[in-house]
Amino acid sequence: MKKLPKLFTEDLSRRKFLAGAGMTAAVAATAGCGGSHTKTNPTPTPTPTITDADILNFALNLEYLEAEFYLRAVTGSGLSSADTGASAGDVTGGMAVSFTTPAIQQYAQEIANHEQEHVRFLRKALGSAAVSRPTIDLTGSFNAAAMAAGIGPSFNPFADENSFLVGAFVFEDVGVTAYHGAAGLLSDKNNLAAAAGILATEAYHAGTIRTLISQLGDPYLGYANKISALRATAGGGAETTLDGSHIVAADSNSISYDRTTDQVLHIVYLNPTAGVASKGGFFPNGLNGTIKASAS
Amino acid sequence: MEHFDEKNTGIEESRESRSRRSALLFGGAALAGLAMGSRAFGQSSAPNDNDILNFALNLEFLEAQFYTLATTGMTLDQAGFSTKSGSGTAGGAVTVKANAKVTFTTPSLQQFASEVALDEQNHVKFLQTALGANAVAMPDIDLMNSFNALATAAGLGATFDPFANETNFLLGAFIFEDVGVTAYQGAAGLISSKTYLDKAVGIHNVEAYHAAGIRTRIFQAGAAAQSASQAIAATRAKLDGTNTDDIGVSVSGNASTIVDCDSNGLTFARDTTQVLSIVYGGGAAGKGGAFFPAAMNGTIK
Repeated sequence: MKKLPKLFTEDLSRRKFLAGAGMTAAVAATAGCGGSHTKTNPTPTPTPTITDADILNFALNLEYLEAEFYLRAVTGSGLSSADTGASAGDVTGGMAVSFTTPAIQQYAQEIANHEQEHVRFLRKALGSAAVSRPTIDLTGSFNAAAMAAGIGPSFNPFADENSFLVGAFVFEDVGVTAYHGAAGLLSDKNNLAAAAGILATEAYHAGTIRTLISQLGDPYLGYANKISALRATAGGGAETTLDGSHIVAADSNSISYDRTTDQVLHIVYLNPTAGVASKGGFFPNGLNGTIKASAS
Repeated sequence: MEHFDEKNTGIEESRESRSRRSALLFGGAALAGLAMGSRAFGQSSAPNDNDILNFALNLEFLEAQFYTLATTGMTLDQAGFSTKSGSGTAGGAVTVKANAKVTFTTPSLQQFASEVALDEQNHVKFLQTALGANAVAMPDIDLMNSFNALATAAGLGATFDPFANETNFLLGAFIFEDVGVTAYQGAAGLISSKTYLDKAVGIHNVEAYHAAGIRTRIFQAGAAAQSASQAIAATRAKLDGTNTDDIGVSVSGNASTIVDCDSNGLTFARDTTQVLSIVYGGGAAGKGGAFFPAAMNGTIK
């Protein structure tokens, strides 16, 4: 990690990078071969200029969401005010899960630690450019996702440890695809290295969560795959149905999927309808930062 | 299949664009990374994308051989996969015990092992196709003496047969997976083509999924397996010269350590020199040892 300290000294906002239709289209065109058949969201309209700070702030919003989910699940309370910015939005829902299996509690604690570390790392790297935590909903969002996925009218991921694993499943593969899609947009090599380090950690998390759910079997495996199908609808395909022989989410070349920021927004806003989506789902007031509304 | 044309186009573009973008590439941290990379193969020029993809191909050959043998008892050649170079040079020899197929007793683990084998075979094929005529042949691979030497170094005994049973298989897999993650992460910043960067990041992710699957099962296997993983991790960290950048499977405080990462929650990166030192078991660059007794093929070796 000797290359990372430099990250903190970079003035991210000055590192402008043209992320217009050309580059994004190139990334989209080479996205997962297996998933590309079902991609529904077109390439975003040209954006004037996207900086590394914009992209890292986009990631920071997702890390806030994951950190709040996992921290509340293991401790009952979320990020401290020192980690959420001056104008942090409220968080609705979330409670300590009554874990009965020590190992699952230990996995949950590990992931919570990492997501908190990611928040702190990105906030430190971004410095004064870091966005505050947006308003987050961990109650209505899961109910809406359960309804949309066909699981039922409500879903409480904090009800018990198996439900918690399904709740975690909602996020983890999305984080992998989001960072994968964003990696190619970063212009600074230090930022790329940091993003690659975070995304691999998210892939470890996803690998563990998928392993545990496949071991649980139904009904939780079925719930997870309904969520996966919902993500595919909202986020341009890019999903591998989970079973004992498909722990990894990857395309036919065994390369993980990537998603555009638009596709990720459609998922976290729980808005599968093509077009502009600017808020909803896990982020009732939208993300903070410049990347917060899908263009298509 | 039309995607392969895009890849081949991408590699041509990367060659041309490299000179145009040299100012960017040679700035700041990129320079540090390139300097580390060049040291590995003793020449002053920076590695090009083909060099890096071939470096990855060598590692994928190793992983694919291990998992294919563990799940089928066959080598890649015997299973119908090409180990030749893009220009037709025959692949090297594989040193492995007879009947290497693991006797799995847990169906879900057997399924997972087969999934990983398929992924690693796909990675070999993908890189061979992407590299085309530039693809290196499989180097000599040793899956017998290598494990014995590493077991000795890790204090796990004089011999270690990763094909003997399920737990040994998990530990054998453990040796590779996290190294693959760190290798791809270290290499990502050296790749100039955005197309190849995207693919390398995608493979990097899949290796991390694998590593998590393996490490989660080692966690579930209990204290002895966890302890062995810690000894292996410590040996890897020693071999790469840091003594710090590797964490075995354990419980730290009230949290598991499934993810092999630093205090920022970022996985570790290794440069090519560090990766070579691990897979060579400390053998000298260019000479090889352990898993690659006659060194890797390609310019980074």
